[in-house]
Amino acid sequence: MSLMGSSVAELFSAIDKLRAELLNNVEVLTDCQRVEGEISHGEILSLIENVILGIVTSLSKDEAPFLALPDRSNWANISFDSAIGLRMTLGSSVTTIRSDCPSSVTKFAQILKIFVVIYKLVQSNSYATKRDIYYNNTQLFGSQKTVDSIVDDISCMLKVPRRSLHVLATSKGLISGDLCYMEEDGTRIDCRSCSAAAAVSSNIAGIRNIVSHAKFIMIVEKDATFQRLLDDDFCTKLSPCIMITGKGVPDVNSRLMVRKLWDTLHIPILALVDADPHGIEIMCIYKYGSVSMSFEAHSLTVPSVMWLGLLPSDLQRLRVPEDVLIPLTKRDESKLSSLLKRPYLASQPEWQKEMELMQQSKVKAEIQSLAAIAPDFLTNIYLPNKLRYGGWV
Amino acid sequence: MLREIQQVLRFVQLLGKRRQQSGLNVKGGLLVLVWTETGPSVQSLNCAVAAAGPWCIGINMKALQPDLKECMFPCACPCLPPDPEELCAFTDLYGSLRLLLTFQMKDASPEWCARIETFLHTYSLANAKIKIHFKFKFSQQTFQRDFSVKIKNKAGGNQRPPECVKKGCWCQGGHPVLGDRLPLSIPPAAMDQGLFGELSIQAVTLLSPCVLQYPNLPTQLTHIQVLVYGPSNVPVTGPSTFFQNLPAHLDCQEVGLHGLHCSSFKDLVHSGGTVYTVEQENCEDPEQESSPAPIRQSLLLYIFLQHSDPFTYQLSDMMATEVLIERHLEDILNNNKQAVTKAVQTELKNTLKAQNQRKKNQQKMRSAAEVILGSSLSIVSSSSNMDFRNACLHSMKMSDTYDLSASLRESLRRVTSWKFTPKNICYSAQVEEYPESDEPTRTEI
Repeated sequence: MSLMGSSVAELFSAIDKLRAELLNNVEVLTDCQRVEGEISHGEILSLIENVILGIVTSLSKDEAPFLALPDRSNWANISFDSAIGLRMTLGSSVTTIRSDCPSSVTKFAQILKIFVVIYKLVQSNSYATKRDIYYNNTQLFGSQKTVDSIVDDISCMLKVPRRSLHVLATSKGLISGDLCYMEEDGTRIDCRSCSAAAAVSSNIAGIRNIVSHAKFIMIVEKDATFQRLLDDDFCTKLSPCIMITGKGVPDVNSRLMVRKLWDTLHIPILALVDADPHGIEIMCIYKYGSVSMSFEAHSLTVPSVMWLGLLPSDLQRLRVPEDVLIPLTKRDESKLSSLLKRPYLASQPEWQKEMELMQQSKVKAEIQSLAAIAPDFLTNIYLPNKLRYGGWV
Repeated sequence: MLREIQQVLRFVQLLGKRRQQSGLNVKGGLLVLVWTETGPSVQSLNCAVAAAGPWCIGINMKALQPDLKECMFPCACPCLPPDPEELCAFTDLYGSLRLLLTFQMKDASPEWCARIETFLHTYSLANAKIKIHFKFKFSQQTFQRDFSVKIKNKAGGNQRPPECVKKGCWCQGGHPVLGDRLPLSIPPAAMDQGLFGELSIQAVTLLSPCVLQYPNLPTQLTHIQVLVYGPSNVPVTGPSTFFQNLPAHLDCQEVGLHGLHCSSFKDLVHSGGTVYTVEQENCEDPEQESSPAPIRQSLLLYIFLQHSDPFTYQLSDMMATEVLIERHLEDILNNNKQAVTKAVQTELKNTLKAQNQRKKNQQKMRSAAEVILGSSLSIVSSSSNMDFRNACLHSMKMSDTYDLSASLRESLRRVTSWKFTPKNICYSAQVEEYPESDEPTRTEI
């Protein structure tokens, strides 16, 4: 049953039109083509063995072994591809981790330790989470963050997705809506529950048998907004649809899920974020990727993501009360300027306009600010109208 | 006799200071000849001190005031002049003599040779511009020793590398570190004797041998030697009770040492200054024992006494002041005990900070090495890829993983311990075969 008694066709006409446009413009890869990137166990073991052989060879020549890690945080190593997003360039600069230097020897040891863990996981075809790895040797690693970072470094160094290394991450994202699928272990997941969302799977690559009639997918920046929409029965009112949140900056699994849904369903993906630089940046991560994970951009980004709201122009158009608008801080202004200089903005003139409007007005607003107009404004008025009349950029 | 030699050196140094000669540019030679003379009933020790070169320009012995001579050598007896041939060899090197003084000591024993040698060595450690030639003839035997350094624009030396250094570059020099200057108060007893003006000490530390270019080599401080110099840069003679007792008042833990104790009196006499032996940590970890043997280092702590008094400008007065300072040194140090102890503590702490950090780094490297080796061997051992396993074994020329483990461990230890990082401040010379030599090691700034 759709909102306000309108027919489903009218409600989703703009969405359907968008989908048709997307399907025309974007190269659609079949599942088997997507799978071609997967690497075999033997290949992974070989890659790790090559690293160890390199170490042994160095020692045989009386040379101190070192590891070369691609520098994942350097913008100089990133290029923008409109079909993929931010990607790591070939021949990017590396950071050398030496075994004969006190400042780097511990990291060298940590990397090798994780290599052993991965080697054993792949050999035994078992899986472990990053948390498991940390708790197995807290003294060596010192913090969870260290393990997380090294796992990504190894993934980038070997040019192998983390999931192929048999290292899982606990997902923080939530998903709800017209979607059913099966996990690798056979567990059936049904996201159609009205009151509760399902956790995003830890093993996205293992998901099979995706079934959905959703017309669109909505990425929701914040958990608070997601829960509000859940409480307001959004997925029923705008059925059939899917909504997903990464609870802020999305983890890899949430991004993989969005990508997987795009690859499988080829339906429009719309982002609902706060009208502030942080929200815009989060949306850009879904759409174009992040610098630190640029080496895996092809499996993490969805360049077709559209910005549904909250747009800076919405604040003026809807006459959102001034007392709920928040002045931009110096940090906000700095981030906004930085975003405007990002390579991908050049191909998004509408986004640029919205961001320049924010720069000029010097205010930001959370999605919750729409409640100042009416308590149910978001779910009953704003979103349905946006979707009906194609209010995305 | 030592006192006479000391006075000569003071005389020349103070004269140079008055002429405002800057230290490093003024070179010269000093000849000390000591020979025995057997008389009817006693054996006498004769000494001739000669100086030549730019450092003693302006000295005219013929015009040397008799009262100055009397002041410099109140107890000296005249003696026969030395062998002209000995002097010829000296003047050939440094030009005509500017100074030649002779004196005799009765009832002397050959032990004095060692004391003079130590004194001259201590003097050379702070006066590198002067080449010292010491010759001692006793019965039919001749003992000769020369003290000299090559001066570059920084301190340089000619230091023998530790025995464990087989090849590679080694820093031949030392890197003196200037410490803080500490003003001292003059005790009343010294003031009563006529010591006035401003007195202070300037500390300088020197750790040797230098291992800056080998940041991963373990080091072990074995000795600390305290050398005290008067305002003319001439060493103060005799052991110091103050410095002998100093270890009891130092906070060794704060400095990073287990303990210090003063060497025996006999050792003090022959080594110059005050020598402390550093207590070593008991190594319970067998892994640590298998590490490369630590490079033994010693720390030289120079204490330069500085004095200024606008009313003391006559050479004889300046020399008398130096004698006064030396005579009352114990009193002066005790009068400023807390400050001097704290100053020494600070200098030791600052010097050993780097050493202590090195120890921590080595612990880190050892722990990491275990993980590196364990991880690598774990993968080699559990791999079913024969090509990979064989490549690892052949690379290290081993036949099985057990031998591979030992070989990798040794190799990793070797490459990390002997990591060489060139430093601009170091005097790196390629270590060739160091020939066996009877020449004693010369350790100088």
